[in-house]
Amino acid sequence: MSTIRLRSPAAFWLALPAGLWMLLAVVLPVLLIVWVSLWGGTTVSPNNPITFDNYQRFLSNENYLWLIGDTLLQTAMIMTITGVMGYCIAYFLTVKVTSPGWRLALFLAFVIPFWTSTLIRAIAFVPFLGVNGLLNQALMGIGLIERPIQAFLYSRLGISMAQVSLYTLLASGPVVYMLNSIPPALREAAMTLKAPPIIVFWRIVLPLTLPGIIIGQVLVFLNVLADFITVTTVGGNKLAFLGNLILLFYEGSQIRMTAVVSVLLMLLMLAGVAIALRIVDIRKVGS
Amino acid sequence: MPEGPAIAQLDLELRHIRKRYGDFVAVNDVSLQVGKGQFVCLLGPSGCGKTTTLRCVAGLEEPDGGDILIGGKEVTGEPPWKRDIAMMFQDFALFPHMTVAKQVGFGLEMLKKPKAQIAARVAEVLKAFEIAHLAERRPSQLSGGQKQRVALARAMITEPRILLLDEPIGALDYSLRETVMLELKALQKRSGISFIWVTHDQNEAFSLGDHVVVMNHAKIEQQGAPDEVLSRPRTAFVAGFIQGNNVFEGKAAAARDGVLEIATVAGPFRVPLLDITAPAPGSVVTFSVRAERLIENPDAAVANRLTLNCVTVEYFGAFRRHVLEGPAGLIVKYDQFGALPQSIREGETVTLGWALDSGVLHRAPGV
Repeated sequence: MSTIRLRSPAAFWLALPAGLWMLLAVVLPVLLIVWVSLWGGTTVSPNNPITFDNYQRFLSNENYLWLIGDTLLQTAMIMTITGVMGYCIAYFLTVKVTSPGWRLALFLAFVIPFWTSTLIRAIAFVPFLGVNGLLNQALMGIGLIERPIQAFLYSRLGISMAQVSLYTLLASGPVVYMLNSIPPALREAAMTLKAPPIIVFWRIVLPLTLPGIIIGQVLVFLNVLADFITVTTVGGNKLAFLGNLILLFYEGSQIRMTAVVSVLLMLLMLAGVAIALRIVDIRKVGS
Repeated sequence: MPEGPAIAQLDLELRHIRKRYGDFVAVNDVSLQVGKGQFVCLLGPSGCGKTTTLRCVAGLEEPDGGDILIGGKEVTGEPPWKRDIAMMFQDFALFPHMTVAKQVGFGLEMLKKPKAQIAARVAEVLKAFEIAHLAERRPSQLSGGQKQRVALARAMITEPRILLLDEPIGALDYSLRETVMLELKALQKRSGISFIWVTHDQNEAFSLGDHVVVMNHAKIEQQGAPDEVLSRPRTAFVAGFIQGNNVFEGKAAAARDGVLEIATVAGPFRVPLLDITAPAPGSVVTFSVRAERLIENPDAAVANRLTLNCVTVEYFGAFRRHVLEGPAGLIVKYDQFGALPQSIREGETVTLGWALDSGVLHRAPGV
């Protein structure tokens, strides 16, 4: 229970710095982008007429529509894989590993790689997945393949492998938190009520960790949608998703189109978060 | 190793249960027999192994040795969901995402009963426990007393052979406890289900149990009917743990005609041996005398006496407790019926005594 009441002076002053920051660093730039995306004419000028022509042009191009669909498909796939893997890892770490020492060691092994920046981790996949990379050498070493597999790097497979490894932690972190907040007595109570372990998981553990799953999925969804670094570095320049399209338009000085794709990407993200909020009331988590 | 045939009419039988966690022995050679529809209380200080024993019965812990029989059937290796038990947890362990009705019906759902039958039975049980109006609420919307009823209804609905209760009223407000205790006792009698009730509160144990098991350091110190344990504590621990006992320690002297002479710091006392074989002269023995069995200014016929100085007088309503000091720091409690006029005041010196048969000799530790 907070002792600061809603709409009290204290609440106002406490919210002010972050509020100002959000206004200047988020709201204003977003409004600016929306404005630019609606510019008519061809020059960069605040006097440009307002029109939906840019959107119409973008959305009437079949290639771009495919690209939106492809981006969503890739995101859905990564969400599924990281969701399942993240849950398994979280369950293993919190429920199955009972020795505190082992738990800490495994947890650190899982978390420490994420202390480096996404860019570095994405670039690190190049020597890992390349023709003479670690993965190929290892596979040849144990005799599974005779010649190196080229398709690991600069391919969709490579991007997906990298993204799964980059974002599994995001999917699993909130689940770890939710699993930890389930008192062991709940599982035991279900067992004494004649529920075998699978039913205990299905009826007790899974529903109680659902908010964690959803939050994790939202994080993965937002990150994969916004991810252009992995696609560029691990995918070479062969592939593009929406994020890369923004960069391409920007580099081509097509400021209106850059803004259009940015706005569409933001709308997609908003829609995703809205759906997640319909399933789980995130505000209630942790209470 | 089963020893002898399983007795079918027993609801529960524990044979030499042992459980250790690393170097810590949690349960050491605990044997217990619970007859049909008995109310058994496991009583002891925290860490004495009473909860671990209960969890072994539930199947939540697997004992390292010994056998567990429920209804005459060996279940030692069986998981909880295959045992004919239900359990009530200290903090009730209600499922936060389920409504009261769903929660109470959970056990029947697990037994794969038809939906209509579950709904009817749940409605019936909710009504019986006077929580029908809470059917659609979630645990977070319930008070402590309501949660307790829901947890009880959830456990009882499957009509198990044994209900295991781990400090079931410890989480309730003090004012609620007495009412709930009476209700639970009545419910146990009515249902004929055996209750195994773990508690550290001796008032609970002695007022509820048909059979009280006092545990300490992973072992059973004494078990029996409440009045038997109360009037004849068999070890110094039990005597000291039960309120209102004066425990004396001394050296055994000669035994004559079933009476042992014991030399203590406060002088020699005479205590009946009863069924205990006379200890070797010079060995350390303990005995106890209940605080209300002391007699003021005893006449010559009273076997034991000592002179004490009254330190404090506490008034508990039903009785008045005098704390008195004797030679060498010996502390003696003397309880007097509260309605009687106060006869000893602080600072006064009095002579107290007790009849021969008021003294209870304890077994030597480890025997």
